Amino acid sequence: MADAAPGVGYGTLTMLLVVMAVSVWLGSRAQRAVEKGGFVKGYFLGNRGLGAWALALTATVQSGGTFMGFPALVYTHGWIVALWIAGYMVVPITGFAVLGKRFAQLSRRTGAITIPDLFDARFGDQRVGVLASVFIMGFMTFLMIAQFKAGAIVMKLAWPGAGALALSETTAAGGIDQAYLLGLAIFSLTVVGYTLIGGFLASVWTDMFQSVLMAIGVALLFFMIVPLASQGGFQAPTLDAVAATGPDFAFGPGLAKEGKPSFLPLGVAISFFFVWPIGGIGSPASMVRVMACKDNATMRRSIVLLSFYNALIYVPLILICICGRALMPNVASADEIIPRLAIWSTREWTGGSFISGLILAAPFGAVMATVSTYLVVIASGVVRDIYQRFLRPRAGDGEIRRVSHVVMILFGVIGVAANIQPVDFLQKLVVFSTTSTASTFVAPALMLAFWRRATAAGAIAGMLAGAVTILALFSCGPLLESKNFFDPYQLLGLDPIVWGLAVSATAGLAVSFVTVPPPAALVSRLFDARPIATTPASASAI
Amino acid sequence: MALVIWLAAMLYTITYCYLYGYGRSVESLTFVWWFPDWVFWGIIVPWGVCIVLSTVFALGVMGDESLGEEIDAEVSILPGEDEVRHG
Repeated sequence: MADAAPGVGYGTLTMLLVVMAVSVWLGSRAQRAVEKGGFVKGYFLGNRGLGAWALALTATVQSGGTFMGFPALVYTHGWIVALWIAGYMVVPITGFAVLGKRFAQLSRRTGAITIPDLFDARFGDQRVGVLASVFIMGFMTFLMIAQFKAGAIVMKLAWPGAGALALSETTAAGGIDQAYLLGLAIFSLTVVGYTLIGGFLASVWTDMFQSVLMAIGVALLFFMIVPLASQGGFQAPTLDAVAATGPDFAFGPGLAKEGKPSFLPLGVAISFFFVWPIGGIGSPASMVRVMACKDNATMRRSIVLLSFYNALIYVPLILICICGRALMPNVASADEIIPRLAIWSTREWTGGSFISGLILAAPFGAVMATVSTYLVVIASGVVRDIYQRFLRPRAGDGEIRRVSHVVMILFGVIGVAANIQPVDFLQKLVVFSTTSTASTFVAPALMLAFWRRATAAGAIAGMLAGAVTILALFSCGPLLESKNFFDPYQLLGLDPIVWGLAVSATAGLAVSFVTVPPPAALVSRLFDARPIATTPASASAI
Repeated sequence: MALVIWLAAMLYTITYCYLYGYGRSVESLTFVWWFPDWVFWGIIVPWGVCIVLSTVFALGVMGDESLGEEIDAEVSILPGEDEVRHG
């Protein structure tokens, strides 16, 4: 009877409230740290003081999805999801060592606070910065809205007697659940509140907090679930799950849902070795965190810490969910597998509700941290890249602070309003936005960081080409293959991100070669240990 | 070196998993601890190797040079300050 939905006690709600309280406390601590330096650099970049743990645990792509969407994939498709996520084995070294270190250097040499700042300064052309800012705000807003919905649903889950594991915002009658709306209100007030108080550092510190919670949650689940499912031997969980589902659960391309294409054909498997390493560091939220890194030694230690952290999170999670399929083979909504396992395995323990609450607090904390991160990036885009750049260049700290707060509240309201009647396809919208962000920014970012000959026109072409390619492939899915909205057309069996990156890089290279090279002095300032003198005469082609 | 590790990990993992993890029968499956053989040798082992290589690279190969002096971020945005800006 493990498949039956267990009830949720007060412990779960208590643990979520504890997470909220800690987050607000971290926000107030962050505010004190911000006060130590200039407001803009402190509020939007944490005074460039991130240490190794903060950088390792917050600068890549762990989010609410790590503890919600990923387990659902393993439960549904089986062992092949291990290959789907395997690209994470190289995320630390590619993310930090290839692009991260260079970004940290360039942001210091230019004084850049935001990603558009950096594009502007590197290419000496405000149009590049403005275009970057527009893309970042657009993509980040979509991502943030989806996270509000996830946060509200987890809050609803925690209400004792509220239908417990109905991971949905609707009631059985089809209306919007009052518990969902209350959860949305509480979640939004908390996350906007502490982000508004502490800015960038608040989002980083709460992100660290949720990463620790996630590690604790995974460890607890591993030791509770895996021995239970392995009583018949190491092979028992897999063989039991295969018996309940079919042989595809143990092999590639994975167990497919009825009427759906196979999960991981070869082309898509190759694609995801690009998606994770590049998507992680290609996100503006990640880029800005490596810009905030304290020093190079911090980055080196972060590579080591993140290497171990990724393995210790993802490999046990895969095992837990394989065991979950063996123990609960017929869960209708795969998203519920972690909550169900947590509640079911602690049901007979004294205080078991608090332990399951601790496990469920991990995805909740992750969603809060993700919203907080996006709020800071969006607010910095509006305040730094638009308001301060074009409207009030000499605005003082007090004015910038007030405008930042207004922008965060405004986007918080947008997040709530968009989720009162939540639209469908939000999860797919997240994938679309993530893919678009990486395709738009990765090639121009590499050009920015490593290629002296790259021009402003080339960077603009790279961004536009990447974005248009993704838009076209996502449009072709419904148009050519009658797929659902946001189900992309996989040209030659490859994920759209591969084409987006390829077209973006080609456009960036080609346009850079046919346009006038950037001024020598500008490039020298960013690439040479001893820059050449900045004089009008030196501003010639290189 | 980082890109070489990335490329090598991708080639090995994809090739091994495609050869030994796709289109097999359950009867041929063996296990190493909890893992099907193709998952252990195709994913877990290279993941462990990547951790070792990343650690060696980060602590032994990657230089520890300064990230550079920072210019004043609070004022760098003001237009007209940078004589090489041409936008």
